Amino acid sequence: MECRELREIISLSLDGEASPEEARLVLNHIEGCAGCRAFERKMRAIGTGVSKTEGAVPPDFREKLFARMEAEDLLPRRRSLFAFSIRWAAVPLAAAAALVLFLVSSPEKGKDAVSTQERLPAVARTGPAAETMQPSSPPLSGSPGSTLADDPRRETASAARAGAELTPEERDIIAHLDILEDPSALDAPGDVDEMDIFEPPHRRQG
Amino acid sequence: MRTDEELIELYRKGSRDAFEELFARYHRKVIHFAYRMTGDQARAEEAAQETFLRIARAAFTWEPKARFTTWMYTVARRTTLNFLRDDKDDRDKVPILPGEETDDGSPAIQLPGPSALNPEEMAWGAEIQERFVAALQKLPEGYRSAFVLNRGDGLSYEEVAAVLGITVQAVKSRIFRAREMLLESLSELLP
Repeated sequence: MECRELREIISLSLDGEASPEEARLVLNHIEGCAGCRAFERKMRAIGTGVSKTEGAVPPDFREKLFARMEAEDLLPRRRSLFAFSIRWAAVPLAAAAALVLFLVSSPEKGKDAVSTQERLPAVARTGPAAETMQPSSPPLSGSPGSTLADDPRRETASAARAGAELTPEERDIIAHLDILEDPSALDAPGDVDEMDIFEPPHRRQG
Repeated sequence: MRTDEELIELYRKGSRDAFEELFARYHRKVIHFAYRMTGDQARAEEAAQETFLRIARAAFTWEPKARFTTWMYTVARRTTLNFLRDDKDDRDKVPILPGEETDDGSPAIQLPGPSALNPEEMAWGAEIQERFVAALQKLPEGYRSAFVLNRGDGLSYEEVAAVLGITVQAVKSRIFRAREMLLESLSELLP
């Protein structure tokens, strides 16, 4: 291989861009060629010299650049510690405020955590009267945790509060909730069973 | 450690720290590149400042198709070229050779004798650096860019090709020619 041709490969080799075969070729050649050996050494020195050629970094370089960037609104401003604290304090403060509002606006919620549906009488849960007992029902929605059948005091208070808004029929249902809960209470002694009317007398006797 | 591309993305989202990190990583490299390209400290500083400003301005529209450094050096080279063009009318000055006089009539810097000038062995001094910078300025800009990016900044041939928008084969050729021309310019320094 001609020296001129090989010197291009020497250049590649110095830059780490020669293949292993090319690098081996260079090594073999410069061992026996003083001219190419000197060339390789000078080329290496030139590369080293250029990498050592460095500009100075002025002490105010960063400040100057950042000032220009801020003037062009290219640099986000650093948040102050105070702003940072306020931002992160806002989360627990808001949560505490929400809790206080909740407790103040619905004081009975905290006392009676059992759901209204579970505390309602069985009849009220399944029968037509249940509609008037649901929390969504406007007259009783102010005390969703209360039940009318199992706590007479609350029943009275709730009924008194809602009394003005109840129809006479609803008031009647509420007044006889215990009967609805236990229909056998209607069977007073001496009363005639409705079914007996349709049964033959002999069967009644037997 | 976050990648350059991640830092640019964070900067786009409003992180000042991300830009500061990029600046910390690369401002020296950009200044050195600009100095090797212009041969002038004040010009290098201006070009480096302008390079970072352009990067910040373009960050919001930049699409990371290539490495950040490839883009950064592309911006740095174009910026430096603009400065060189602006200076062209003023740059009819011929690089000062040993023994000549400077513009103000003072004697030019006397370089050490050839036997001391192997950069791997010699003590690197300001005079020798100036000599190297002057030799670089004599190269055609295309050769100088290729050689400086490869030897000065450590970019591979492929990365140099991406920055300059040329083929890898063209990069090989330019770097070899640059070496030959520098060898000629600096022959007095190299035994």
